[in-house]
Amino acid sequence: MSSVVAFFFDVLAYSSIFVLVVLGLGVIASMMGIFNFAHGEFVLLGAYTVYAFEQVGLPSWAGMTAAPFIVALIGLVLERVAIQRFYATPVIAMLGTYAIGLALREGVRTLLGGQFYSVTAPLVGSFAFGDITVSKWRTTIIIITALVMVGCWFLLARTRFGLRVRASLENPALARASGISTSRVYAATFAFGSALAGLAGGLMVPIYSVSADMGVPFLIKAFLAVMLGGMGSFEGAIAGAALVGGSSAALPWAIKPVVADVLVFIIAIAIVKLRPGGLLSSWGKRQ
Amino acid sequence: MGETAMTQDKRNVESEQRRLFLQRASVLTGMIALGGGSYILNPKGAWAADPIKVGIATDLTGPIGYAGIPNSNVAKMVIEEINAAGGLLGRPLQMVLEDTASNEAAAVTKVRKLVQKDKVDVVLGGITSSMRNAIKDTIVNRGKTLYIYPQLYEGKECTPYLFCTGPTPAQQCDTFIPWLIKNGGKKFYLPSADYVWPHVLNEYARKTIVKNGGEVIGEEYFPVDHNEYSATINKIMSSGVNVVFNTTIPPGVAVFFKQLYEAGFQKKGGRLACVYYDENCLNITPANEIEDLATCLDYFKALNDPFGNTLQAKYTKLFGTKNPFTAGSASTGMYRGLMLWQVAVKEAKSVKREDVAKAMDHAKVAEGPGGGFEIVPGSLHTKMNMYIAVAKAGKYEVVEKSNGPVMPAECG
Repeated sequence: MSSVVAFFFDVLAYSSIFVLVVLGLGVIASMMGIFNFAHGEFVLLGAYTVYAFEQVGLPSWAGMTAAPFIVALIGLVLERVAIQRFYATPVIAMLGTYAIGLALREGVRTLLGGQFYSVTAPLVGSFAFGDITVSKWRTTIIIITALVMVGCWFLLARTRFGLRVRASLENPALARASGISTSRVYAATFAFGSALAGLAGGLMVPIYSVSADMGVPFLIKAFLAVMLGGMGSFEGAIAGAALVGGSSAALPWAIKPVVADVLVFIIAIAIVKLRPGGLLSSWGKRQ
Repeated sequence: MGETAMTQDKRNVESEQRRLFLQRASVLTGMIALGGGSYILNPKGAWAADPIKVGIATDLTGPIGYAGIPNSNVAKMVIEEINAAGGLLGRPLQMVLEDTASNEAAAVTKVRKLVQKDKVDVVLGGITSSMRNAIKDTIVNRGKTLYIYPQLYEGKECTPYLFCTGPTPAQQCDTFIPWLIKNGGKKFYLPSADYVWPHVLNEYARKTIVKNGGEVIGEEYFPVDHNEYSATINKIMSSGVNVVFNTTIPPGVAVFFKQLYEAGFQKKGGRLACVYYDENCLNITPANEIEDLATCLDYFKALNDPFGNTLQAKYTKLFGTKNPFTAGSASTGMYRGLMLWQVAVKEAKSVKREDVAKAMDHAKVAEGPGGGFEIVPGSLHTKMNMYIAVAKAGKYEVVEKSNGPVMPAECG
């Protein structure tokens, strides 16, 4: 019994962390049609913010609150300086953002001296129900992820800003003709995606410790999740993330972890082959 | 019509600018990828003789940078010390440092440059076993150059002209595993990163565990950067394991230790052990999560030995505290390597590989951090003292010392 509960909790917790990471990548990919390969490093910057706050004596929750804003600002500057030049050519965008990511990663490595540092979670320890222990901080992440998911959906589907974003995606020329500054909308969307990455980094740093490479293992799987969900739909990216994250956590219970890691990719590639439009293509919006 | 032409024009200009931007960006990335990371440290003062060239190939960047940075620091410190004391054979030492960037493919090019272009007289470096395996042939066989490998590793490296100055499995396990059985229990679990070091070390550890009356409940391998261990932790918690003998490495190890702690392994009396854990690793997880973690290495700051303390003070003065001088990150191995090589060059009165290797075969240094050390003749490996330490509130306490230097038990 206790291991069944542990199983479901751990799969849910890991999927939540993963969804949080994918959200930002998914927003940028689905709204602007480019893959941000510096996304892992934006996550890293969020984590580093929390670490830097702790270094100057501020509590970690303050760093977690500030992380999305600081990373959004960095994202905004990068978008204005470099990334906006890549919109016309998605392949160049991948390479360009990858290069930016590399520069950010090595920069943080220099700041950290290549070391790994732990950050204390605002909630330490675990809830114990008899034999079952449930990490307090992972529980918090599950709740925050749910809230952020609903918030994002609301922002993109129900607000004026969301309408402009979707309009700019569907038909940039018509959007411009209707008086929407697509360039500004793109900048804001990119900053928003960056903020989500910063939040993800800030929230997960107590679990993973800050180190220059902390974003790397997430990037490829997040990329896979967005592919799986379909480029054009925000809900699809979340579904893809839940599937990739869930299977990454669940498969090692049954088979060797090294095999499981590969199997996640094989399953995902098979699904992409069967449903090239993405998981939710039949009932989502079609491109 | 005119307007369209203008837009067309503007587009051409924009596309021109974009092309230019991309060209520059790609040139820059190319420079970063290939050009950087080569440094020459010239001896201070005026010297009449040509310098002896010491090649240091280590990971200043990339995931292994945490060990490569202090490694290059130690080399710099020792080489400057030797120069200040009059050099070797009347010649100064020049340090040629290459950043192998935690990337085996790039590293081969870097060491080829060291042996072919710079024509160094000896190469020290490499941290991971995969790095050593990648660069050794270029240095030793094709480059005909002496190679000294400083990190603790899985053993079985018996290439001629390749000397190992870090601890071997025998040195790390022979006293440590009986201690763990006495101070933990008989049931072991071996969670490991999936690369050569854990695989081969576990083979040795398993043998030693069984020989001492213990039992291996499980042995499991994860991708190096794995970040979800709940399945394994559930197996550990439900099978009454006493000792977790961990060989997962950073970054994955941080998550593993945290999940293990949160599941209450230590609270229920379990003992966590990890043979590469040193002062450098204490930051990876909060102190309370690795309370009572046991490790076995050739030096700890907590030893408080006069020689080690002097060395620490000097190192800290030069390089600060961000990348400390420790055993698990190959700093002590780098120190031993340079000192043994120095002794050998003095005895051989030459820097020719054959002469130095012959003298190196029985080289001996009376004092070092954690005690004296020497090459065991015919073995290419180093005999050294070993210590068992336990983490207490973010520091180590040395709980047991080996009975004199421990034999590496490698290569015949």
